[in-house]
Amino acid sequence: MASDSANLPGGKITFLLFLALVNFSFTIGIHNDNFSEELYVKPFSSGHVMFHFQFTTVWNVSIDKPESFQHYHLFPKSLGDVLTTYKVKELHLSQTQGLWKHEKWGYPPEDAPPGDELWVWFQPHSGVDQTWADLVNALSGLFCASLNFMDSKSTVQPRWSFRPAGLASEFYSADSRFVRYSTLPREVVCTENLTPWKKLLPCGSKIGLASLLNSVKIYDGFYHSLGVHVRSVCQDTQCLTPATELKQTLTVVYDPTTNKNGKQDWSFQSMFDRTLQSQCPLADTRKIYVDVTTQETFPKFSLSPVPDFVLNQKRSGEERKIAVYQIGNHLFASSLNLKAMYEEKLTFSNSSLPPVYANRFVTGYGLERGGVTCMIYNTMSSNTTVIFMETVPWFLRVYFSSLRIENDGKEIKPYKINFIPAKDRANPYQMELVFRLFANSVTKITYSFERAFLKWTEYPPDANHGFYVSSAVVSTVLPVASQYTATSQSVSLLEESFSDSSSSFFLRLHTETLLVSLPTPDFSMPYNVICLACTVVAIAFGSLHNLTTRDFTASDPSKRKGLVAKLKSFFKKEKESPENKLDSKEEETPSQKDKDNSKSEEKDSKEKDGNSET
Amino acid sequence: MVLPTAISFVCGVILRLALFRSSLPDWLSTKTEVVTPLTSWGRAMEGLALHREGISPYSGDIFHESPLMLKILGFISRFSPNTINLIFVLLDIIQGMILLRIANTFGRHMLLRQATSVKNYHPDAKKNLLRKEDLMDLQFYVTVAFSFNPYSIATCLARSTAVFNNIILLLALYQMLKGNSFLSAVFVALAAYISMYPIILCVPVAVHYFLMSRKGGMHYTDPTAVVSYLQILGVTFVSLAIMLLFSMLFVGSWEFIPSTYGFILGVPDLTPNLGLFWYFFTEMFEHFRTFFICVFQINVVIYTIPLAIRLREHPTFLFYMLLYTIGIFKSYPGYGDVGLMFALLPLWKHVYQYMRNTFVTVCMFLVCTVFAPIQYYLWIYAGSANANFYFAISLAFSTAQILMATDLLFGFLKREFYLHNGDKHKLPDGTDAQIILDS
Repeated sequence: MASDSANLPGGKITFLLFLALVNFSFTIGIHNDNFSEELYVKPFSSGHVMFHFQFTTVWNVSIDKPESFQHYHLFPKSLGDVLTTYKVKELHLSQTQGLWKHEKWGYPPEDAPPGDELWVWFQPHSGVDQTWADLVNALSGLFCASLNFMDSKSTVQPRWSFRPAGLASEFYSADSRFVRYSTLPREVVCTENLTPWKKLLPCGSKIGLASLLNSVKIYDGFYHSLGVHVRSVCQDTQCLTPATELKQTLTVVYDPTTNKNGKQDWSFQSMFDRTLQSQCPLADTRKIYVDVTTQETFPKFSLSPVPDFVLNQKRSGEERKIAVYQIGNHLFASSLNLKAMYEEKLTFSNSSLPPVYANRFVTGYGLERGGVTCMIYNTMSSNTTVIFMETVPWFLRVYFSSLRIENDGKEIKPYKINFIPAKDRANPYQMELVFRLFANSVTKITYSFERAFLKWTEYPPDANHGFYVSSAVVSTVLPVASQYTATSQSVSLLEESFSDSSSSFFLRLHTETLLVSLPTPDFSMPYNVICLACTVVAIAFGSLHNLTTRDFTASDPSKRKGLVAKLKSFFKKEKESPENKLDSKEEETPSQKDKDNSKSEEKDSKEKDGNSET
Repeated sequence: MVLPTAISFVCGVILRLALFRSSLPDWLSTKTEVVTPLTSWGRAMEGLALHREGISPYSGDIFHESPLMLKILGFISRFSPNTINLIFVLLDIIQGMILLRIANTFGRHMLLRQATSVKNYHPDAKKNLLRKEDLMDLQFYVTVAFSFNPYSIATCLARSTAVFNNIILLLALYQMLKGNSFLSAVFVALAAYISMYPIILCVPVAVHYFLMSRKGGMHYTDPTAVVSYLQILGVTFVSLAIMLLFSMLFVGSWEFIPSTYGFILGVPDLTPNLGLFWYFFTEMFEHFRTFFICVFQINVVIYTIPLAIRLREHPTFLFYMLLYTIGIFKSYPGYGDVGLMFALLPLWKHVYQYMRNTFVTVCMFLVCTVFAPIQYYLWIYAGSANANFYFAISLAFSTAQILMATDLLFGFLKREFYLHNGDKHKLPDGTDAQIILDS
């Protein structure tokens, strides 16, 4: 806008000067943000290919000052309003379908557990629980997800695992009162989540990289994960003023070998059923990166069109070759259909394992007791310290006394333990353990639980499907960047993190979710159960009432009448009193009563029979 | 009868020791009929583990013992597993000893009461009177009923903390029979402190205290009588309050109240047992839940009033009947309560002949006891049955207990009737009259 006003033709100078000034003053308000769109493609040796879309908006206003969130330009207003209303300092949401396989694929750019995960740092204020409840409801509407189910039963305050990812004072980040973490492991992520996510993009889904996001093909993939990350970053290298960064990520993994005669060939056309027609004019950076580190090794592949240039990068000693495409350079003649063609069929080979990865599973049988085992593998030749965090729903009663950390059969004592036991129907079990992983070893964490019996209304419609337990989170700092693809914490763009000379890489990885069956009652018979149980109480009440309110007396057995005799005498009485017939209505009521009386009398007489037997 | 009593006592101890060497204790300690969330040893150990880690055991929902029990269990848990087993056998020996004392005192107590009230009895009732020889045998029967009672053995083997509750209840009964009503009231308060429901036992203790001090034909509603009731109630409630206060000081907050008494009253844990609550409240409609919880909890204690009025002359029997109704209707009943009932049952041996359906009841007990673990296995492990199967067993077991209790009460009342009116009843025309309950 500023350049537009500068290029205006002459004449009416005074007015235009005024206009220019107005525009200029606006520009300061509006044009302090920038947007970049990036796509990172990485083929894996398992035959899969990862496409990671990353859309980053950096707005040079501080999220701590809600009044500065006024004049929106690139930053989505719908999200900005939510952030300021609920005093959010940092927000991380991921919606994932499928499980990232760390052993095969290394680390993803954004690690996410199956289902939904949300963790938020709030600005210091009281009543964070209420703000969280309001926030999840607002986000639930914004992202079309069941985030409103993130109530106190599934929300925890992690003490060490989830520190702010952006700018925050040391004092603030150590205070877990302001952080909330929750997951919905059962949540199914689908098109209805992708659409609101795309709406947050400045260019929408019609032009730019986002136009590739064809939901039919994306939900065909092995794994896909949507992410929305808001944090504070530095405006410049001096870091005097904070800016707000919104990073929207979409990671999708395909297996092209299944329909390409066993070859790992991939292209935009085959993966997304579309080619790239346009670029987002609002974006400052519009790039595609393809990891070609393995291009020259078996199986060889070639890219078409030829990349603009190939970067030879080193990230903490690990060499990587990245082919870079400036999208603008490839759209002149025709649309861009990036292709990789492999010379040979894929043969399966052992991929090199990532430095740290974890597996988790349920043990035991039957529906009464069970256990959870988590194996954490360290393939590095150095020791490392990890934070293991686990959130278990209240209905699996975790026994803290059964918690063991073992390495090679030797028990390891954790440095720190944060265990918060669950309260029934109120809050979950929260476990955070800090311990050491020895070099080239497997560490086993085990604990046992007892299944609770729920009320019949607490079961989901498909009760025998089981209940999901959210992923455990393993956090550590790696000394090497082997298979590490995440954006460095200090920068915003993927481009800037390919080359990195630091020696510590923060890693957070999620294990599998668990599916645990609980014993179920018979849902079809609440009435029967109420009737039967009340009958038993009535037996006791009736007998005790009888015994305590009556006395034993001697009576003549011959004078006691049976049912027939009583009925006879009743009808005789009727005949003897014809005046009763005058009012038929009145007659009915007492006769009914008499009948009831006779019945109860008969019962009594039966009991008397029983009594007399002794 | 001293020798057979001693032999059966020793046999009982040896039986428990021997069974502790088998795999039975592990199996029993997971059986929901034997241990409840309130009395499970595993849960108690979990609470202690949290306590040692500096986490309040009451912040979670696994541990529900009172702070005093936390202290006692903390002391016991320091020993090796084998020693703990020995401690539980020792606790059973203590229970047995108290039972012996109770049987002994009870005999004397009954003879004494009979001597004072024999003048009111019908001349024909002579043969119904208790004789000293019969009462001498009581110790033997009680010992047998305790030593070889499968419910008591199971409770001991499962290391259920219900044994502590049982010991205190037995002590309360023993002190009451001995005439130390105030001490008895303190024990009642202690039992109430541990498991809440026994608070109603202060009624028989109060009546007994009044009966002991009664002069002449003083009525039950006499001001002197009311003062004596209030004395016992005062002792009970003051000692209970002191215990709660000390617990608060020990734990540091009142958070143990919702975790123990709130847990007993609110029934949030729906783990199956042989009581009436679990399935009823699993299947309850949400908006009726509070109402029915109130109804079922009132049902536990409501019998105190009619029974206290009817059995005002017999506080010992009233004590037993209330103990029985608590055992049937409490929110988390276990075999510990049933074991106590059966151990004390021989005290009313002289009533047996007036009971009507002993055979049916005994059969129901046997069938339920055998079938309960089978149905549970079929539901939880094999998956070939559902919750209704186990529910049926728990209903039948409760019914059996109810039949037993009402039958015993019936027999007791009938015997009293015969004592006062003789057992020969002729109508004016000379035919035999029938004895029936009439209003």
